[in-house]
Formats: sequence, structure tokens, C-alpha cells
Amino acid sequence: MIFDTVVYGNVTLFDLFKVIAILIVAVVIARVITINLRRGLKDKLDKDHLVIITKVVYYGIIVIAVLAVLPMFGVSLSGLLVAGGIAGLVIGIASQSVVGNLIAGLFLMIERPMKIGQAVNIAGTAGVVEDIRVISTTLRTFEGLYVRMPNEKVFTTDITNYVEYVARRLEYVVGIRYSDDADKAIGIIQKLHEEHLLTLISPTPDIFVDNLGDNAVNIIVRIWVPTTEWYGIKKELLWKIKTALEDQGIEIAFPQCTVWFANELRSGEGAVTDPSDSQLP
Amino acid sequence: MFGCYDIPFELEKEGIALSLEKEGKGLVYRSACAGARLEKILLAETGKVFINPIEPLNKPKELTSNLLIEFEKTLLIEPEATRNIFITYPIEIGVLISTKTAVEVLDIFTLVRQKLTLYGDPRSGAICKYWMSNVYSSVPSINPLHEGIIELSITNTTKEWVTVTKAIFNAYGMKIYYRDDLVAMKASMKIMHGNIAETDFVDAPLEPGMKKSLELYTVGKIAVTTPKFIMEAGL
Repeated sequence: MIFDTVVYGNVTLFDLFKVIAILIVAVVIARVITINLRRGLKDKLDKDHLVIITKVVYYGIIVIAVLAVLPMFGVSLSGLLVAGGIAGLVIGIASQSVVGNLIAGLFLMIERPMKIGQAVNIAGTAGVVEDIRVISTTLRTFEGLYVRMPNEKVFTTDITNYVEYVARRLEYVVGIRYSDDADKAIGIIQKLHEEHLLTLISPTPDIFVDNLGDNAVNIIVRIWVPTTEWYGIKKELLWKIKTALEDQGIEIAFPQCTVWFANELRSGEGAVTDPSDSQLP
Repeated sequence: MFGCYDIPFELEKEGIALSLEKEGKGLVYRSACAGARLEKILLAETGKVFINPIEPLNKPKELTSNLLIEFEKTLLIEPEATRNIFITYPIEIGVLISTKTAVEVLDIFTLVRQKLTLYGDPRSGAICKYWMSNVYSSVPSINPLHEGIIELSITNTTKEWVTVTKAIFNAYGMKIYYRDDLVAMKASMKIMHGNIAETDFVDAPLEPGMKKSLELYTVGKIAVTTPKFIMEAGL
């Protein structure tokens, strides 16, 4: 039969057809899997990462198929496996951190603790997420610096996402004098909140005397605002509170010390009133 | 005040002063409302100006598409019943210039107090424009430059009495109709559970003869998602 015709070594024409058929099936399977992967992950991953993942899967299947058909050409896989094992060991040791970052990057993409464009703080570095790549994550700090962080570090450290939730609370401590009326001060701050266009009615603001400090009666002001407006309102509101309180005769206290003398200071004749008038050397 | 104006025009009402005048080869738009002034130069010679009540989600800032109306008095609706009520909502006035091919927003202003609130919790809730309204059984008398009316049809599909304290609407679905003395919309609330309801708008005037407002977010280029709002964090 024609299929028994030897083409090369012990490889017959039938073996050749089998190899071609296996490779064609592998290509079809790889395509089906990558198409489904692309559809399934379209909404979960960005385009760049999706391309990388589908390519890895596609070529992975092809490589497995090629390895499977190699014995049909008389190529011994045991030799390849030994050589591949040694090479793999060397490459593995050399690229340990790269693989770690790659896996961490994949987990970050699945867990999604942050999205591109969000303001975050990663390991003490605050900024806006510029990109989340397979190996690294890049931030643009608020000072305008480019910061690249390996994904392994990002994945294993604390991430604070400032904008994940729609509302955020701002907090001030306003210290007023002991002689001032705290209830009146609370009323003034409450009115400022009510008149402000962007502070939230609900959750209800919390404004109360928190403690009686060394130099002041400390009023805590906790107001919820839309997350996108948090920084602007935080900058604006404290000074408004200060000026509104002062307009109503309530002053912000500052550290001071009252000194009581055991013997009352002499006043009038002979008293030292101005250092320039002093007879002291 | 609401309606279509030919260029040039000038009008003044209730502290609102608007004008669009020819200056040189262009047009100058000027407005003054509640202490705020605006001046824009338009490189155009023709067009029409529409002054319409628009979806009330642009002031103080475009932060949300949701309008939360809290009822001054709590409502209790009987099982498997549909009842109609009338509530008010804040008016925002849009000044739009139109040519044969396009409509553009010139200005937006409001005469009423603006405030925001959070519906739900900070994690999964929604920022909403806030308004408090009395509940009426018939069309109340209102100033159309300050307040509009929503005829709200509430359907309780459950077999229990349900308490309703608020309604939240997605402003993208609003269908506003107006005439000189009335601005109104028709909306529905379908209570599906003691704590869950869906709100939507009906594209129909409250009374015959009312004109339909230009919808700001369809004349613009912002994509519209669903016009409904699902109230999942309590009624």
C-alpha cells in the first residue's frame, strides 16, 4: 500500500498524514479555546493582557501537539526531556523573580484591587494607576513621578484604594476656647454643612465635642462627601469653618500657659512695665 | 419663559436675565442668575434658542444621574394595588442653541437649593441629587421656574403592606413636558418586594397641550444606559 511507503528512516507516509492530522486538530482546538477565552475574558481583562494570555494558550497547545508527534518522526523525547529539564532548571532559577511577578500579575488581574485611573497608595507610594501589566504596575505619583512596581511587591503589600467607593468621609478636629459655647459652634458647623452644595445629607454628619484638651475644647467634624470631590471639599471647608466660627465670636484656641505667681506682682510705683524702662543691666 | 426664541433676544424674569445679541460678526450670550454671571461668544449668525426645563442633574456639578426624592410624610400602600400620587422635583433650566444639524447647551441654571445624598452604603450605594417633596393627591400649585411635578404611579405587586419614604429616578430616562405655568413628568414605581422597587418614566404629558423638552443627554453625545432605576437599598 502507498501508506506503507517509507518517507524517512522508519517514518511512513501514514505517520506523516497522522502527524499532519494531529497538528491540524491541535490548531483547531487551540483556535476554539482562544476564541472562547477571548469572549469570556473580554470584560474582565484589558486588550493587551487578553492578547498575551490568548497567545500563550494558543502556542502552548501547538507546542504540546508538536511534542506529542515528535516520537512519530523517531525523535526520542527522553533526550529532549533531560535537556529540557536542565535548561528549565537554569531558566527557572534565572527567571524566578520574573515568573513570580508574572503569577502575581495574573492574580492581580483576577482579584482587581484597583483599576487603571484610580488613586491608590501601594506600599507608601500614592498616585494614580497608569497601567497594570503582566510583570509590573506603573503609578503616576501626585508629584508627577513615574513609578514602576514589580507585581510581586504590589500583590504582597497593602493597597489602599482611595476611590473604590462612591462616598468618603472627611474629618477635622476644631479646637475652641473653654470660654466659648460648644453647642453654638456645633450649630454653626452644621449650618455650613447644610449650605454646602456638595456635602452629603446621608450618611448623617457627626459633629460633637470629642474631648476636653489641654488648651481647647475639641470638636470632631465628620462629614461624608462624594469621593470624587473629597480633596476639593477638604481643602475648602476647614477655612470656612474657621471664619464662620470667628464671625460668631468663637475663636480657635491655641496652646497657651497661664502662670500664677506665689506673690502678686507689684504694679504702679516702682513696677517694671517696659523692659526699655528697666534700670536692670 | 420656556419656549423657542429667535436671535437676537433678551428676557428678564424672577431675577434671571438672559440675552443673545449680535456683536460684530458674531453673537454674545449673557446671563445673570442668583449672583452668577456668564458670557459666551458664539461664532454663528443664525439659529434658534430653546429655553427648556431639563433633567435636574447638572447642578451643582454633573456627579450623578440619580434623583432621590424624599417624601415629607411616609406612604403606606396596600397589597396588590396601584395608586397615583403627585410629588415635586427641582427645576433646572437649560439654554440651548439649535441649528439645522445640531443642538448645543449654552447655559444651565437653577433657582432652587441643591444638595446631594447617598442611597445605600458607601461601598455599593449611589450618589443622588437630593430633593424633599410633600405628597399630593392632586396636581399642586407650583412655581414652574422652581419646581416641576411628577405624577407617580405606585404599584404594589406584593401581598403585604409596603412603606415608601422615597423614590429614586434615573434622570437619563426623564421625559419632561412643559407649558408656561406647569412643568411635569409621569413616572412609575413597581414594588417587587418589601424593600425593592423599580422606577421608570412614561413618555406622555401630564395634561394635553404640553410641549416636550429637549432631552439634554440625547441631544448631547453621552451614551445612555438603562433609563430605569432599581431601588435595592430600601424604600
